[in-house]
Amino acid sequence: MERFLQSPIKDLIGRFPALGTILEDYAIGCVPCSVGTCLLRDIVEIHNLSPGDEEELMGRIAAVVAPGQAVAIPRSGRDRAAGASKVSYSPPMKMLVEEHRRILRFVALIPALTAGLDVESGEGRERILDAVDFIRSYADRFHHAKEEDLLFACFDEGLEILQVMLEDHRRGRVCVQGVLDALGRRDAGEVSRNFSEYGEILTEHIRKEDEILYPWMDRNLTTRQVGELFARFGAVDETFLEAGQRYEAFVAGLEARYLDAKAEVVR
Amino acid sequence: MSEFCGCPGSRMLEFQQEDTPEGGAEVRIASQLRQWPIQLHLVSPEAPYFQGADVLLAADCAAFAMGNFHNEHLKGKGLAIACPKLDGGQEAYVAKIKALFEKARINTLTVLIMQVPCCHGLVALATEALRGSSRKVPVRCMVASLKGEVLQEDWL
Repeated sequence: MERFLQSPIKDLIGRFPALGTILEDYAIGCVPCSVGTCLLRDIVEIHNLSPGDEEELMGRIAAVVAPGQAVAIPRSGRDRAAGASKVSYSPPMKMLVEEHRRILRFVALIPALTAGLDVESGEGRERILDAVDFIRSYADRFHHAKEEDLLFACFDEGLEILQVMLEDHRRGRVCVQGVLDALGRRDAGEVSRNFSEYGEILTEHIRKEDEILYPWMDRNLTTRQVGELFARFGAVDETFLEAGQRYEAFVAGLEARYLDAKAEVVR
Repeated sequence: MSEFCGCPGSRMLEFQQEDTPEGGAEVRIASQLRQWPIQLHLVSPEAPYFQGADVLLAADCAAFAMGNFHNEHLKGKGLAIACPKLDGGQEAYVAKIKALFEKARINTLTVLIMQVPCCHGLVALATEALRGSSRKVPVRCMVASLKGEVLQEDWL
């Protein structure tokens, strides 16, 4: 069992497809994950199941990977008392979750933004470049930089869960570069495809962070680290204050343009 | 209906004592207290041990209820204690907590209270101070049972 606990989840699901269904029964969504390099041991710990659920899950996994064999099922070893009490997001995590809300508001507009995309006129191209600027400046330079430079630095950089998140960031950047390259070729289809792929990556990435990564980090950060992160995030916000207001206005403007227009059509 | 209809904070209870090795008189637990005074009326936000510190604001009863108070909750922190039910001059408490945020520029504040309803007044004082403070600080609320277990912890 120890050998399986130390294996990347995608490899295990590849060898034992039934594991994907079992994990989904416990709201562990590893099947659609595009990376899947997290170790089974880390996944069990990160999802913070109750002791009863964890024991049941491990028993079901053992029955699949070692059928008919008596296997010792190790416990994740985390602090049960802490895991049992409900802990809300710490203030620095709340800041990141708030930023996610703004990014998701933009992502929700991608279908409207890419419908009937205009890559020829100056106005149409400007609209695409504004969207790229939001992604690069707000979602990446401001938000992802807080994560990569400050939050992730509190943890062992070799952790698979962090590598998965960094890989999502990298794939998002590739999509944005794809938008710009396609715009240069005036290829509306590729611009649209890259925007859509970016939206899919970010939607799944944010779900993983909000539901799994941040709660796990909150359980593992010391009180000292929470205070220091809050102060450092605040300092970043100070330097980004004016730009933050501009990007809020940008998203609100897109919503007014596309959502209000849609509501008008419905009426 | 319960026989006792008065204040839960004053309700008389007796706990069954379990004989555990940890409770033996021969076990010495080192104090983690690193300052004096500790009562909220007496502490000064200008004291060096509060500057940039993680501070624990504990209800008076908490340290008695929690067997491992020093190692689990006090270690590495500055301390202030108060009773929101019995202490007078609580306007001064709000001003003092606000000064911890603004002048001492503390890193975090953990408010440790008992589960009895009157103890939540201490969280209310910290919340009022935070609301009035020009500098925002992470504030965490921990609720301990009468037998010293952590029932709940939440960041405000």
